[in-house]
Amino acid sequence: MNIKELTKGIFKENPVFVIVLGLCPVLGVSTQVSNAIGMSAGVLFVLLFSNIIISALRNIIPDSIHIPAYIVVIASLVRITEMLMHAFAPAVNAALGVYLPLIVVNCIILGRAEAFASKNTVMDSALDAIGMSIGFALGLTLIALIREVLGAGTITLFALGSFNGVIEVPWLVDNPFRVMSLAPGALLLMGFLKAFFDWKAMRKAG
Amino acid sequence: MTKHIRFAFILLAICALSAAALAITNAITAPVIEIQEEENRLAALKAVSSGFEIGDQEDIAGNAHVTFVIRLLDGERIGGYILGLKGAGYGGEMAIVASYTTDGEILRVQLLSHSETPGLGKKAENEGYMDKYEGTGASEPVPTNKSMLSSGDAAAVSGSTVTFTAIAKALEAGSVYAKELGGK
Repeated sequence: MNIKELTKGIFKENPVFVIVLGLCPVLGVSTQVSNAIGMSAGVLFVLLFSNIIISALRNIIPDSIHIPAYIVVIASLVRITEMLMHAFAPAVNAALGVYLPLIVVNCIILGRAEAFASKNTVMDSALDAIGMSIGFALGLTLIALIREVLGAGTITLFALGSFNGVIEVPWLVDNPFRVMSLAPGALLLMGFLKAFFDWKAMRKAG
Repeated sequence: MTKHIRFAFILLAICALSAAALAITNAITAPVIEIQEEENRLAALKAVSSGFEIGDQEDIAGNAHVTFVIRLLDGERIGGYILGLKGAGYGGEMAIVASYTTDGEILRVQLLSHSETPGLGKKAENEGYMDKYEGTGASEPVPTNKSMLSSGDAAAVSGSTVTFTAIAKALEAGSVYAKELGGK
């Protein structure tokens, strides 16, 4: 067990900004902060279990059929998550809508199975999954926060008691840069953030 | 050769285990989901009934948009209809229930199920989204084009024109259908 496996995913090997994995959900669900949080929770659940199962089976699954085997495991996990959410957390299921089944094609899941879980112990794989999920959640939430504040002038969280879940940002709520909520805004912002993280990494490297 | 058979067997075992896990989860969740959907349907019917008594459901086959009709009763008289409608949204089929007067005017609209994009087409679930359709269909036409909306409403559907048009087309077909029923 190596605690580094947990922390590396958060910044040094952040899946969104450094490895650039799983961009479709990052660009797709980042219109609202609440969607980003829900998606991150789904990814954490699926990634944790897929990494554990695949790591446990790593000596059983032969190399030549590892991709189909991983896909069966991942697809089943996603479907199980979807059914459980539909039955026991219908509000979250309704909020995530079509993005929940799309976790199955999220390359972070298959990427981590291939690059990490297939070669490491169950414990390390679980830590890797948690670290990568936190890194993914941070990246996704950061993009969603910037896009929603600029694009709609609001921050949508979850409704709790008397709080309806929506924080309005003064001025921006009346004058939103609507392009930020649309697809081009997501691509532009991703470009700027990637450039920023690359610049930081270059300065650090000297 | 034996190697290939062994591989096939391993893959088969993984598939069989996955299928079993899915079957068990489905057996647990399916009844819960069914109860929820029935509750949602009844709640939606009640929400659009506009105070009328809800009659029996009659399924309609062979109409591109209308899936069922429920007569709204005001004592003995038919006060209007609830129509089950389907529209082709951006993410697939959308199920809508809407109530109409006997002259085809839209009273209330509710979105029952859909797979629209969060942040864009999914806004159709928001309160107030259906306001732009309600009250149209008889003296005013149903707004099926963005140019028929006020500038505020048009801005609100920007980025989700497909969703807006799909709901409008379904509602318009429902209005035509309600007129054809002609108070019967």
